[in-house]
Amino acid sequence: VGEQIAFGLAAGATLIFGALVITLKRPFQATVSLIGCLAAVAVLFVLLQAPFVAAIQLIVYAGAIVVLFLFVIAYLGERPTPELDNPLARVEAFGWLAVAALALQGALVLGMSNLPGLWDEPRPVGDIGSPEAIGRSFIDDYIVPFEATSLALVVAAVGAVLLAKRAVRAEGGR
Amino acid sequence: MTSTLNGVPLGMYLAVSGALFLMGLAGVMIRRNPLLLLLAVELMLNSANIALVGFSRYWNVTDGHIFALVVMVVAAAEVVIGLGLVVAVYRQRLALDIDRMTSLRG
Repeated sequence: VGEQIAFGLAAGATLIFGALVITLKRPFQATVSLIGCLAAVAVLFVLLQAPFVAAIQLIVYAGAIVVLFLFVIAYLGERPTPELDNPLARVEAFGWLAVAALALQGALVLGMSNLPGLWDEPRPVGDIGSPEAIGRSFIDDYIVPFEATSLALVVAAVGAVLLAKRAVRAEGGR
Repeated sequence: MTSTLNGVPLGMYLAVSGALFLMGLAGVMIRRNPLLLLLAVELMLNSANIALVGFSRYWNVTDGHIFALVVMVVAAAEVVIGLGLVVAVYRQRLALDIDRMTSLRG
């Protein structure tokens, strides 16, 4: 029952902070809400027997990625964005249509699924979330994806440097 | 949901995951500031991670955790490029409005 209470709190916090992220208009406030949402998701990971993923979630996501966001927001400064006319106002309804259609589809799939035990007591699990189990899985089965992630990070870093260089050159610098 | 349960069934996690994904999608649809758009994309990536880790527990395997970690790496790369683009646009003194960025130059 304690697990259910913890789940209710974490799930509620996830959804409330998620709603704040998309409703708050100032980037700084939205980013701080994202920290709350990410921390609540980390609690959900702990409840799902995934302590290592939860730790990485807090360190990499709530730590590095959010700090990057806050740094860029601080660098750009909080500018009041002028309320420009929306050139896509005519088709805005289709965005909400997509959201509603996906919600309907998700509810139908979740309600009609005959996956055994979907709404039952979760079965006991073995050691799937420890650093050792994840390390073994990475080395034994997923060595190629593991190396591919490093390639993705290098490409992203080089791309960011090139973007910055081009932006400086466009201003007349070197 | 009967009161005889002690744990939380997989379906509840999937419901939270789906709701969070819908929030992210709605955020992408209604926001025009690229910074807020990236935040909404982060919500969608996180909802996918909840589903992956939830199914990993359901099947009693580690694969979902591996996927979630790879998704985090992809999210980091995406944020680096996205914020780089935001800063590049800002330095050319253009409005931070994605509906107005309609031309490319190589």
